Amino acid sequence: MMAQSVPHQTTDKKRVKVYELRNNDWFDRGTGFCTASFVQLEEGQPKEPRVVVESEEDEERLLLETKIVKDDGFQKQQDTLIVWTDNGVDMALSFQEAEGCALIWRFIDGVQQTFQGINGGPDDGLSDDLAIDIPTAIQLPPAELGTLLELENNMRVMSSTANGRDALAKAIMRDDYISKLIPLVEMAEDLESLQDLHRLCNIMKVVLLLNDTSIIEHAVSDACVLGVVGALEYDPDFPSHKANHRLWLNSQGRYKEVVRIEDEQIRRKIHQTYRLQYLKDVVLARILDDPTFSVLNSLIFFNQVDIVQHLQSNGGFLNDLFGIFADPNEEQLRKKEAVLFIQQCCAIAKNLQPPARQTLYNNFLSHGLLRVINFGLRNIDVTVRVGATDILVSMIDHDPQMIRHTIYRQIQEKQPPLTDTLIDLLLVEVDLGIKSQISDALKVLLDPTPPGPPEARGEFIVGQPRGRSQPTIDPQQDLFLNHFYEHSAVRLFKPLIDLEKRVEMKFSVVNDGVFGYLNDILCFYIRQHQHRSKFFVLQHNLAQRFNQLLACKEKHLQLVAIRFFRQLVVLQDDFYIKHIADKQILGPVLDVLLRTMPRDNLLCSACLDLFALINKESIKDLIKHLVENYREKIMALAYMDTFREIVNRYDNTQGYTAQVDPYFLESEDEVGRRPNNSGSRGMMEHLAVDPAQEEYWNASDDEDENPVRPTPDQTATTNGSSTPKPLVEYTSDEEGDDNGDAVMTPAASLSSEENSKENQEPVSSGSAPAVGPPPERLSEKRRREEDEDDVMDKLVHHKRRNSSASASNSAGNHSAAALRKKKSFGGSRDASPNGPGQKKIAISISPSIKNSAAVKSSAGGEEDSK
Amino acid sequence: MSDLDKAIAQLRACRPIPEAQVRELCHKARELLIEEGNVVTVTAPVTICGDIHGQFHDLMELFRVGGDVPDTNYLFMGDFVDRGFYSLESFLLLLCLKVRYPDRMTLIRGNHESRQITTVYGFYDECLRKYGSANVWRYCCDVFDYLALGAIVLGASNTMSPNPDSSETESDQDVEIEVCNADGQIMTQFSRQPRGRGGRGRSPNGAATSAISNGIGPAVPGGPMNSGPPGSGASGYSGGSVGNPAGAVLCVHGGLSPLIDTVDKIRLLDRKQEVPHEGAMCDLLWSDPDEIDGWGLSPRGAGFLFGADIVRVFNHRNDLSLIARAHQLVMEGFKEMFSASIVTVWSAPNYCYRCGNVAALLELSEDDSGLGIFARSNGDVGRSDGNGGNGPRGVLMENDPSEPKSGPARRYRVFQAAPQDSRGMPAKKPVADYFL
Repeated sequence: MMAQSVPHQTTDKKRVKVYELRNNDWFDRGTGFCTASFVQLEEGQPKEPRVVVESEEDEERLLLETKIVKDDGFQKQQDTLIVWTDNGVDMALSFQEAEGCALIWRFIDGVQQTFQGINGGPDDGLSDDLAIDIPTAIQLPPAELGTLLELENNMRVMSSTANGRDALAKAIMRDDYISKLIPLVEMAEDLESLQDLHRLCNIMKVVLLLNDTSIIEHAVSDACVLGVVGALEYDPDFPSHKANHRLWLNSQGRYKEVVRIEDEQIRRKIHQTYRLQYLKDVVLARILDDPTFSVLNSLIFFNQVDIVQHLQSNGGFLNDLFGIFADPNEEQLRKKEAVLFIQQCCAIAKNLQPPARQTLYNNFLSHGLLRVINFGLRNIDVTVRVGATDILVSMIDHDPQMIRHTIYRQIQEKQPPLTDTLIDLLLVEVDLGIKSQISDALKVLLDPTPPGPPEARGEFIVGQPRGRSQPTIDPQQDLFLNHFYEHSAVRLFKPLIDLEKRVEMKFSVVNDGVFGYLNDILCFYIRQHQHRSKFFVLQHNLAQRFNQLLACKEKHLQLVAIRFFRQLVVLQDDFYIKHIADKQILGPVLDVLLRTMPRDNLLCSACLDLFALINKESIKDLIKHLVENYREKIMALAYMDTFREIVNRYDNTQGYTAQVDPYFLESEDEVGRRPNNSGSRGMMEHLAVDPAQEEYWNASDDEDENPVRPTPDQTATTNGSSTPKPLVEYTSDEEGDDNGDAVMTPAASLSSEENSKENQEPVSSGSAPAVGPPPERLSEKRRREEDEDDVMDKLVHHKRRNSSASASNSAGNHSAAALRKKKSFGGSRDASPNGPGQKKIAISISPSIKNSAAVKSSAGGEEDSK
Repeated sequence: MSDLDKAIAQLRACRPIPEAQVRELCHKARELLIEEGNVVTVTAPVTICGDIHGQFHDLMELFRVGGDVPDTNYLFMGDFVDRGFYSLESFLLLLCLKVRYPDRMTLIRGNHESRQITTVYGFYDECLRKYGSANVWRYCCDVFDYLALGAIVLGASNTMSPNPDSSETESDQDVEIEVCNADGQIMTQFSRQPRGRGGRGRSPNGAATSAISNGIGPAVPGGPMNSGPPGSGASGYSGGSVGNPAGAVLCVHGGLSPLIDTVDKIRLLDRKQEVPHEGAMCDLLWSDPDEIDGWGLSPRGAGFLFGADIVRVFNHRNDLSLIARAHQLVMEGFKEMFSASIVTVWSAPNYCYRCGNVAALLELSEDDSGLGIFARSNGDVGRSDGNGGNGPRGVLMENDPSEPKSGPARRYRVFQAAPQDSRGMPAKKPVADYFL
């Protein structure tokens, strides 16, 4: 049903006298206003068709309320009289106006018609999907200002049933009714009859929302379009406003023709498409329902297919178009418009089927698209650069292999490869959009993973993981990568590499964004390029460079560095783990944390997240490295579970105590809570006995070729710059917790006795109800965008979509792909970035107290999670 | 008049500001937001708002009803963009106000503050139309990544503050919930009730909202109703005693996560990223409360459904009296569930210009008894561990912990879509030039 299309058909009240036959005499019940509508008396019950008359003197008083049933024998007599039998009593409604009578009668008649068509209960007949043969040919009143009211009412009534809509649509097309209505708009405007204009607007809405393809096509034709949108300028919902649709659509110069399109029909299609979009986005934006939305969208789509097909097969046209760039005498403006034209073509191509898209790009390429891109990327005008980047990115999105081949050929021919152009642009470009698109392009182009067939890369990735571990690299790709690391990588990461010579970490606002992009790209390469990127990171000491960023004043740059280290840790690759330890990366991060700590900000969370990851994944080399080198710093942070656990993990596995280690219990508990989690290791460790634990550490020692010296201050010197002094002097726990600690950790002042009480309280009260484990997720399900279940769907019958719901635009695809990648590599990062129970307890260095506290806390934690 | 004030004035007139200015604004906002924790601490009085969804004129109406910034302290629970036709102006105005009055404006992230969602549901498209490139969209998305994930409201009063707009002068200390219309007239009031009468599972604010939806005018003047409606969740096992500081209120866009059992765990997330497809951060922005036991799969495909028991345990463990969230359209503008332990606030009237719903904002007044605010230290880490046991909280814990906390006094202001005259016909900006 067309919920929003028009006001309800029965809100108009009609003045009427109600008579009832008493002793052969018509008794006047009174005068009132008549409405006829479907009324729902009780929830859950089907709606009933009812005729109601409200007294004109007292609105609360009903002169008549009657249900229309089959055997009442409603009849219309003369123009203003309706008679029937209500429970054996003859009744009559005498209308003041014929129009009002007609309206009510139409409703009653419609209901009765449905009665005749079916044998079941009267109510069933009202559903839309029931096919009843209403006479298909209906006669619309002549299109005149005087009949607008009748016409509007007729249309409202008819458009409320499927058959009515059908018949109406046929009648409108048969009589070319739209063309008849159009002159009325100007007539009403001349008469300044706002009422008529509002009626015309309502009528036009009904006509368009009939959702009939031929009507809509007709409405946007050259002959009709201005009249149609003209009528829609006077929306009764906004009585004090007038839209200026005609002005907009009529203004010259909206259509830019770079190269003359000779085909008359295609030109017409282009204009029509623009009008359809205007209808969709502006004129009907507020009232568009689902069916009309899709009709408009499909009309636009098919038009665009036709247009693009025509252009790409038109050799003469393409020659002219690309010839613009070959001609040195051609003016810049025309070249600019040509780039924008191609940009729009590519934008449209995204909606095409892959084979058609392929043909289009092939044709473009063979006519010299690369020259266009080269021209555009180096252009001084930012719109042209944006256009060229868009074109490039849409082709890369379609098939990166296509561009890679081109670059490979450039390399073979000793030309500067496209990647270098992109790199140069990334480093100097000020436009953020271009920067970020190029950054994405540099990732996709250098992704060695063999791409599936283009269409499979989008939606069907689930369940067929792309072979990341050992990607089979084709030789061409291998050469390409080699060339990149030999020649281009240094160029790309130059801003990072150059940091080495910098003493002061000050950057202009314009420049500092580049580190974020470089970090993104580098993280991607580290994941994808295996040994090449390892060598590169090592060779240029990049971890140390990021370390320098930690000394920046700007927190977002410090964040960049922390993100990079996080990436290195996430991989759990021995090489990088060792690299982190060798380069003493984590010390400065601890310093950042200590420096920031009492404050709760984003930087702090990012640091905590990193250490929680090390702890959760129990990366033994890093835990060992941390405790051996930065024990004091860690102890200063040990009021937080993560750090306490890191120390405990180290101490316990060294075999100093035979006590049961708390987190093994807790990690078991975690396993129970999260079936997906890789908790098996925790269980293994739990079973392990002391000799095994000793071996655990011995083994790791053997791997260490250069055992790190336990000098925490080493970082300060290796950095070349001095580590900033922490803002607050933190006393370590051994020294008591009167002052510094009290500020940082209010909870730390609690005695362990209180602690255990607090921990167990919820348990002893027995109030905490059992909370089951969360159900396992269907992770592939959530990837589907349509699963963003609009709340609306549940409440409103008609889902209304946004115009961009034709979702396959580049940004969407792109970020989706990026997310997928992130997901597969991030692994369990979001599953639980923090350790098990986050209880604050006092830590004392004395092992016995420490362990008792730990055990208590673990007990509490265990109970809590039941 | 500073540039920022000029920008605010321009945006208030629903005119976008130039791209360069957006860029500068976003940089300033980033510096500000990076200093915020994942869970921002806000002290009452505060006015809590739900989804806006680019309905600029209705946002203006919201400010009219709730008071202007900086006079009113606002907390917006995300979903500023998408669906409406003025996402850009709405979000930029809120961001400007945030930069201009950082302490009077708190913005937290909703599931629509995401690159992926905005490309599908309108914001991307809108930026493209209004600026001709997606740059402004990118600036905004960068800011999205810095938005906090939640907020904790401290120091909310158990006692309803006097209603300045109401003819009623005496404020009844037993009033727990007050519903006002857009003009500030009291429509209904509910006193504190012993908990448990309604039991969970019933439609919580059914009675309150039926009063609204029936259009029955202001409730009988001359005194608040003495009996809360069954199932209204009107709380108050403490008998509405004066001055007992209400527990904290957690504000989050979606809801709870099975991976988050304490508020402090939210603080450990590295939030600066696109909203992930799963995990704690995703759940906070996507989950919904539902009449189930425990956790359930969400039909949205992200986040979870969670039942009353989950909320009860979480609130108890974290010493919360209430969770305020948005994310779901409620026809009455607000909906309390699970014995008033969680409330949905929705602030986009006539959603999508067609849903016919009213909107609401939730006002929590300041506790002036002097007890509430000092029960917690502010914003630092050892804060809400749920078993810290300082002062008044320790006393409260002596009570039967199975009783939910007495909720703060809640004033809901219900309002409708901005009058049609105050705005032009809402529509998207048409594409200016075309080649094809």
